[in-house]
Amino acid sequence: MDSTATASVPRSRPLATPPASSAGAERGATLIDIKDLDFYYGAKQALFDINLQIPDKRVTAFIGPSGCGKSTLLRCLNRMNDLIDGTSVKRGAIKIRNVDIYGRDVDPIELRKRVGMVFQKSNPFPKSIYENITYGLRIQGVKNKTRLDEVVEKSLRGAALWDEVKDRLHESGLGLSGGQQQRLCIARTIAVEPEVILMDEPCSALDPIATAKVEELIHELKKQFTIIIVTHSMQQAARCSDQTAFFYMGKLIEFDATHNIFMNPKNPQTEAYVSGRFG
Amino acid sequence: MPPTDASPPPAANIAESGSARPFEIRRVRTRFLGLTLDECIQGFFGGNAFVAVIILALITVFLFREGFKFFPLNQDNLRIYRAAGLEYVQHLRGLDESHLALNRYLQDVRLRGLQAMQVEGVPAAEIKARLAPFDAWTNAFGDAIDPVRGLAGEMGDLSVAAKEAYQQNEDYKVARDQFLAAGKTAEAQAIEIKEVDFAANAAVLRGLLPAAREAAAGASAVIEAQLAALPVFPVAELQPRLARFAELGREYLATYPAALAGMEAWKYDQPVSGLEAFQAFIFGRQWTTASFWQDWYGIVPLFTGSLLISLIALVIAVPFGVGAAIYVNQISTPREQRLIKPTIEFISAIPSVVLGFFGIAILGETLRRLSGWEGLSWLPGFPYAERLNALTAGCLLALIAVPTIFTLAEDAINNVPRAFKEASFALGATKLQTTLRIIIPAALSGIISAVLLGLGRVIGETMVVLLCAGNRIAIPDFGLGLSVVTQPVHTMTGIIAQEMGEVVRGSIHYRALFCVGIVLFLIALVINFLAQKIVRRYKVSVG
Repeated sequence: MDSTATASVPRSRPLATPPASSAGAERGATLIDIKDLDFYYGAKQALFDINLQIPDKRVTAFIGPSGCGKSTLLRCLNRMNDLIDGTSVKRGAIKIRNVDIYGRDVDPIELRKRVGMVFQKSNPFPKSIYENITYGLRIQGVKNKTRLDEVVEKSLRGAALWDEVKDRLHESGLGLSGGQQQRLCIARTIAVEPEVILMDEPCSALDPIATAKVEELIHELKKQFTIIIVTHSMQQAARCSDQTAFFYMGKLIEFDATHNIFMNPKNPQTEAYVSGRFG
Repeated sequence: MPPTDASPPPAANIAESGSARPFEIRRVRTRFLGLTLDECIQGFFGGNAFVAVIILALITVFLFREGFKFFPLNQDNLRIYRAAGLEYVQHLRGLDESHLALNRYLQDVRLRGLQAMQVEGVPAAEIKARLAPFDAWTNAFGDAIDPVRGLAGEMGDLSVAAKEAYQQNEDYKVARDQFLAAGKTAEAQAIEIKEVDFAANAAVLRGLLPAAREAAAGASAVIEAQLAALPVFPVAELQPRLARFAELGREYLATYPAALAGMEAWKYDQPVSGLEAFQAFIFGRQWTTASFWQDWYGIVPLFTGSLLISLIALVIAVPFGVGAAIYVNQISTPREQRLIKPTIEFISAIPSVVLGFFGIAILGETLRRLSGWEGLSWLPGFPYAERLNALTAGCLLALIAVPTIFTLAEDAINNVPRAFKEASFALGATKLQTTLRIIIPAALSGIISAVLLGLGRVIGETMVVLLCAGNRIAIPDFGLGLSVVTQPVHTMTGIIAQEMGEVVRGSIHYRALFCVGIVLFLIALVINFLAQKIVRRYKVSVG
C-alpha cells in the first residue's frame, strides 16, 4: 500500500490496471479505481493525490478524524459534490469499471443510478413508504403497478424491513423510528439496483440496537453490492468492513485489509489513530 | 521569556488577597424609582408589546360597536319602507321597470337594424319607411304600461310623503330632546310633532288596489295582444331577436299575478325582524344610497366585486409569483438571484396610489386598445369599451400580490430540507424531477399559505381598486361566463374609502360602511388563520 502520499507523485508510475472484464467481474476484483485525485472546494484543496482501488462486492470502510476528506472522497464517487458550487477535480481520475466518471460525456444522473447513496441523517421523503421506495423507479418512467409492487417487497426484504412495515406501506415514511427510517433509505437505494452503495456515516444518529441491525444488513448486502462506508466508529469499521482506508488531512495514509489496519498498521499515524491516541 | 516572568506576581497577589477579601456575592444594583436597569428595559419592551395588543383590541371593539348599531337602524329603515307603503308600491314600480328593460331591448334591435341597413346603403328615407311598421308597434308596446306607471307614480308619491313626514318627525324629536337636555323648555315645546298616521295612509293605498288591478289587467291585455302580433322586421337576420323578445315578454307577463299577490299580501304594520335586517345586509343585492325612493345596504355587489378582482389578481399573480420563487430558488444562477429577488421585492415598495395612477393613465387604455385588436378577439369579453374595469384593477393588484406570494413561497421552498434534495439526486433524479416531485410537494402547504396571504393583501387593497375598478355598484353578470372580467365593479374597500368622507357621523349609511369594514376584517382574520394553520401543518409534516 502506498502510504507516503507525497504531493509530487511521478506520472510515470506504473498504473495498476484492473482486469478489463466488465460485467461479470469476479468478486474482489477492482471495481473502482481512483488515481492521483486532487479535489478542491473553490481554492481550498480538500483531497491530495488519492490513489485507491476498491474491490467489487466487498465492504470498504473510510476512517479518519473529522475533516480528513473521507466524506468528500465518498461524495466524489457519485458526483454529489457537483451540487456544491465551486468544487472541482483538478487532477487525476476516478474510473468505475474502467469508465472515467468525470469524463466529458458522462451524465451524472446515469452515474447516480448506478452508484447509490445513504446519508448520515435518515432522509425519507415526506411521502408514504411505498412512494419512497418506488420514487427511483418512477423517475425512470416505470409505471407498471405489478413491477413496482414487486420491487417494493424485494427492496424492503433486502433491507430487512418488510416484516415491520408490510401492513402500513401507504403510511408516511416519517412515521417510522430512526433506525427504520435509515433502513427505508437503504431499501430506497437498493430499489434502483445500483452496483455500488455509498454510506455516509449511516449509523451515527442511531442507537446501538438500530446500529446492529444496519450492520447486519451491510453483511447481507455485500453479497450483491459493493459497499463503501464512511464511519467515525472504529469498532464499526472493524466489525463490518473487509478493508479499511485511513485518511488524514486530505491524504490517504494507509489502505489494507481491515484486520491488518487494526492489528498491524504499517504507518505510525494509522497506529496512533486506531489505538485512540488522537482523532 | 517575558510573559512567564510577568505572570507569577499577579497570581501570587490574588492568592494572597483572596483569603483576606470578604466573600461578597450579594446583589448590588442601581435603582431608578425602585426599578433596576434591567427591569426598566424589560418594562419598556413589554409596555410596547402590551400597547400594541391594547390598540388592536380597541380598534376591534370600536369597529364592532360602531358597525353593529347598523342592524337596528336598518331594521327601522325596512320597517318604514313597509309601513309607509313603499314596499307595496314597489310591486307596481317593478312592473314598470321590467317593461322599461324590454323597451330597451327593442331599441337595441332597432339600432342594429338601422346600422345594418346603413351599411347596405339604403337611403335614409327608405330606412324610415321600412322601419315604420316596427316603430308603430314598438310605440304601442311602450304605451301599454302607461296606466300602471301613472298609478305607481301616484301611489309612490303618497308613500314617499308618509316616509318623509316620519323622517322629519324623527329629526324634530332629536332637536326637541336636545333642547330639553339643554334646559330650553320653551323652544322644545315650540316644536310641534304630528305623528304620521301610517294606518290611514295604508288604508288609502289599499283603496287603490282595485285600480291597480285594473291598470295591470289593461296593460297585460295590450301587451299580450302586441306580442301575438309581432311585426316583420325589415332586416331578416334580426327576426330571431324579435322571437326571443316575445319569449321575454311572456316571461314578463307571467310576473303580473305575483306582483298583484304581493300587493294583496302587504301588511303595513307587520314587524321587521332583526334577522331580516341582517339578511338585507348580507344577502342584499343592492347598494343604493341617498335615493329619493329607498336606500338599500346590501353587501353582495361589493363583495362579489372584491371577489372577482381578487380572483383575477390571483389567477395572474400565482403563476408569476410561485414560478419566480421556484426559478430563483432552484434554477437561477446566484447572479440572477441577486437581480431578481430585490427587483420583485421592490414592487411592494411602490405606493399603491402610483400603481392606480399608472392603471388609469396607461394600463386601462392600453388594455382597452389591445382588446379591440382582432387577433385577440377570441379572449373572453374582448373587445370592451370600459377603460376601467375589473380586469384593469386585477392586473395591478396582481402586481401587488406577486411580491408577497413570491417572498413567502420562496421561503417555503427554501425551508425544504436539503436532505430531500440530496436523496433525490442520489437516486438519479434530474433537477426538474427533484423540483417537481420532491421540493414542490414538500413546500406545497407553505406555497398555499403564501397564496392565501397574497389573497389577503389583495382583498384589503384600496387605492388601486378605487382608481381602476370602474366603481359601478352592481353585481357582475356571471352569466356572461369569463367575459365578466371586463365589467366595471365596485369593491368593499373602495366603497368605504369613497363614501366614508361624505356620510353623516352616526347615520345608517355611516354604520353600514362600518359593517362592510367588519366583513373585511373577518375575511382578513379567516385568511390569516387558515394560512397559519396550513403552515403549522407543513412544519409538522416535515418533522
